[in-house]
Amino acid sequence: MTGAAWLLSLSLAAVCGWPLLSHRSLRGLPLSSRLVLSGAAGAVLLSAAMTCAVVLGLRWSIAVLVPVAAAMAAALRPFARGEAPSPPPGRDAFGGGTWTAAAHALAALAVAVAFLATWSGAATSPDLIFFWGAKAQQFAAARTIDVPFLQNVFHRYMHLYYPPFVTNVYAFATMAAGRFPWTAATLTFPLLLGALAVGLPGILRTRVERRAAAALSALAIAAIACAGIDADVAGNAEMPLLLLEAMAVALLVSPHARQPSTQLVAGILLAGVITAKVEGLPFALATAALFLLLRADARPIGAASARLLLPAVACLGTWFLFGATRHLFTGYAGEGKFLDLYPGRLAAVVRSIGTALAATGYGLPWLVPLAVVLASGRPRRVSLIPLGTAAALTAFFLFTYLHRAENPALWISWSAARIFMPVAMLLVVATACGAPPSPSPETTVPTQEAPSQR
Amino acid sequence: MISRESVRVAASLAGGAVLVAFAAASVPWSANPLRRPRTPFDRSAASSVASGFALLRDAAPLIPDGAVLVAWTEPRDPVQETYFHRFALALLPGREVLPAAYYGAAMPPEVWNRAGYGVVVGRRPARPAGRLLLETADGSLWRREP
Repeated sequence: MTGAAWLLSLSLAAVCGWPLLSHRSLRGLPLSSRLVLSGAAGAVLLSAAMTCAVVLGLRWSIAVLVPVAAAMAAALRPFARGEAPSPPPGRDAFGGGTWTAAAHALAALAVAVAFLATWSGAATSPDLIFFWGAKAQQFAAARTIDVPFLQNVFHRYMHLYYPPFVTNVYAFATMAAGRFPWTAATLTFPLLLGALAVGLPGILRTRVERRAAAALSALAIAAIACAGIDADVAGNAEMPLLLLEAMAVALLVSPHARQPSTQLVAGILLAGVITAKVEGLPFALATAALFLLLRADARPIGAASARLLLPAVACLGTWFLFGATRHLFTGYAGEGKFLDLYPGRLAAVVRSIGTALAATGYGLPWLVPLAVVLASGRPRRVSLIPLGTAAALTAFFLFTYLHRAENPALWISWSAARIFMPVAMLLVVATACGAPPSPSPETTVPTQEAPSQR
Repeated sequence: MISRESVRVAASLAGGAVLVAFAAASVPWSANPLRRPRTPFDRSAASSVASGFALLRDAAPLIPDGAVLVAWTEPRDPVQETYFHRFALALLPGREVLPAAYYGAAMPPEVWNRAGYGVVVGRRPARPAGRLLLETADGSLWRREP
């Protein structure tokens, strides 16, 4: 029962995000996608509220955090301007013919397989026990981020500077359930994979026809399931990160991304990406920069930049403010000095990465999406957003692996497959950019909501 | 003529089916995947730590809040002891956990010998580590004299 309560409490995040996601300008997206976006954005706002409370020296309380996060979402509504683009014909992402039904069945099967692998103890991440869950449990008991716990010299392996999104959300669920249930925490992998399977088709549907949106979404879900099981990601931060990344990039390649409201939601998701894992920073910066560079229809650039990046600056800034005021950290720790690299190891590092990816489903979680990208014809300009982000992320990982004085082969063998999972997802999103957008976003649908509620 | 869109749909579905098949091959079907395993690590790549996880979980009710403990292995293995220090911190909240090893290096006894409880993963120590409180197939729990 504790496990069920822990998982169910995560749905409160959707309540937090709904005041923003219910805005009329976002109604061009199907309800299924808006619900998942609401949960994802709500979780980011909830985590932001928790970090702010820590900086202010206030103890966490669910009864306060949920209304505060929902109020933050409501306060963002005035920045979500724009009309709802007309939905593509047959707007429901889950209707359609045989191909669409087959695609949804395939996605459901992938989620079921991820569930079985997780439930049977075949996909558990040691990092859940080592630090994600251990920190969340401690923080939930302390009702704050426990500074003395982090300062303990024998707790340094818990990476005290790691950004707070996952530990905050896990701590929130732990406060709701009364204790940290380890098995239930592993089930976040199939649960969030299922959420992505529900939310992604409706966003991709704004770019491609329904059966293609469903098929590409199923491919992304299958790739994540296959790599995630082999790389043992159940319970760690990979799946929350992938959910936020996939939804953010899918929004930013959508024709709807010319709207301020879509940019704002993407910006909140990117704030979650940045505060979920260290590699979220290069991901979010690359995605935002490429969007601003390549989407001439998303102007003025200053306002678009603010909507995309200010939420991330606020969330990460609050985290570093916490670290600085408690004398814990002032930035991300690395291996040695920032530019102390070992370039002579490049070939060995690339070889080790190749070996690690090949050992994960024979590399198919990356090779299959790559083949589908290549089969889809000449890339369009907008596909450079996911492809460029994938390149930036790859460059960042190479840079990171070249930092270590010792031979990084062992480190690469247990980390490369899981940290390269977003690249597979980005290749699939790039494939969705290979065709002209299916809807006519200039036309708008009338809504009954009063302008004051916009 | 087959459209580019049809190729994309067919290729995505075919590729997705292959990936789901590979994912399904990782599920331990022979062990009935619907049956809850003893620990979340039983069939993962880190299955070698499953016994330590089970022992620490079984020992938890016998170690009071605020107690000081240390976990080690028999025979001694600093790498495994590093893992079990981390596991003990996660599975025994409210207790003070001292490391027998840290980052694969054995810690000197001054670091951990004030522990009032000892969790021994593996066989029973040749010399009793104190008063025996629990013994399972995974190891034993001892009340130590610090």
